[in-house]
Amino acid sequence: MLVDFELIKRAQTGDSAAFNEVVLAYRKRTLGTIARLISRPEDVEDVAQEVFLRLYFSLDQLRTAEVFEPWLYRLTVNAAYDYLRKHRRRMESRMSDLSEQQVMLADAVAGGRVDHEVRQQRQVRETVDALLSAVSEADRILLTLKEVEGLSLKELEKIYRVNENALKVRLFRARQRVLKALGEAGDESRGKGTAQADIEV
Amino acid sequence: MSNYLNKRGDANAELNALFHTYRAACPDTEPSANFMPEIWRRIEERQRSLFFLGRWARAFVTAAAVLSLGMAAYLYIPNGRNTVLSVESYVEAVAAGHAVGSPEFVDPSLDEL
Repeated sequence: MLVDFELIKRAQTGDSAAFNEVVLAYRKRTLGTIARLISRPEDVEDVAQEVFLRLYFSLDQLRTAEVFEPWLYRLTVNAAYDYLRKHRRRMESRMSDLSEQQVMLADAVAGGRVDHEVRQQRQVRETVDALLSAVSEADRILLTLKEVEGLSLKELEKIYRVNENALKVRLFRARQRVLKALGEAGDESRGKGTAQADIEV
Repeated sequence: MSNYLNKRGDANAELNALFHTYRAACPDTEPSANFMPEIWRRIEERQRSLFFLGRWARAFVTAAAVLSLGMAAYLYIPNGRNTVLSVESYVEAVAAGHAVGSPEFVDPSLDEL
């Protein structure tokens, strides 16, 4: 836990300074999680603020220290889920949808000013985003928490409030759907490659 | 079969590697300078709307209670028509309503004549 439970107790009584400290302690982690969950850098801060807003108004319901972090994760997951449902992700990201930073990066890549590693990272992000866009928001969030955030099944149990077996089944199914999307993407690229080879021949 | 399993295993390993690389590829998001002030602005805005909602709800409950009491009183307190306490019998009441001399009163025994 990044803060003492005493601090949270103070925040529960309406102490603004204590609440500020709680936000300062968790904001970076929350921003990172949201960034990986929604993959829209321009909206990450907005969603994170919504998480802390929900935290502020529900803090008085918290009884024990050990449930604080799973609870915050739960609020994060819910806010990300609401966001994703509202903004159904498009498979193709158009130039008009890209943030200024992304446009600059795209220009830089086109101009050959960005090194190989950055280009590779961008490609990985786009690939995973496209794969996760092929599954439901719930699957996307669950897989991101497990595979990218690295949360254990025990932690996920506390967040989702379901037993380990149910979680395993959900994870397995979500993973199968992503694998299917990965397979289809692979087939497509291989098809393109063959077509390209045919043209070249 | 083993070829299929190998293929599945490869795909799983590929997916694991992809997720692992993805985590490293996601840049850390730094909060802007406006992050905290914006949270407090939203909190205050929500508190204001909750306050107005609370006031409106209280006013509504009060009005509903007053209206209910008024209706209960209206139904419970006897109105003008019921204030005359009836001590007469049914026959007396009918007789009072239809006096013998009144034009609409016809004695059935006279009708036969």
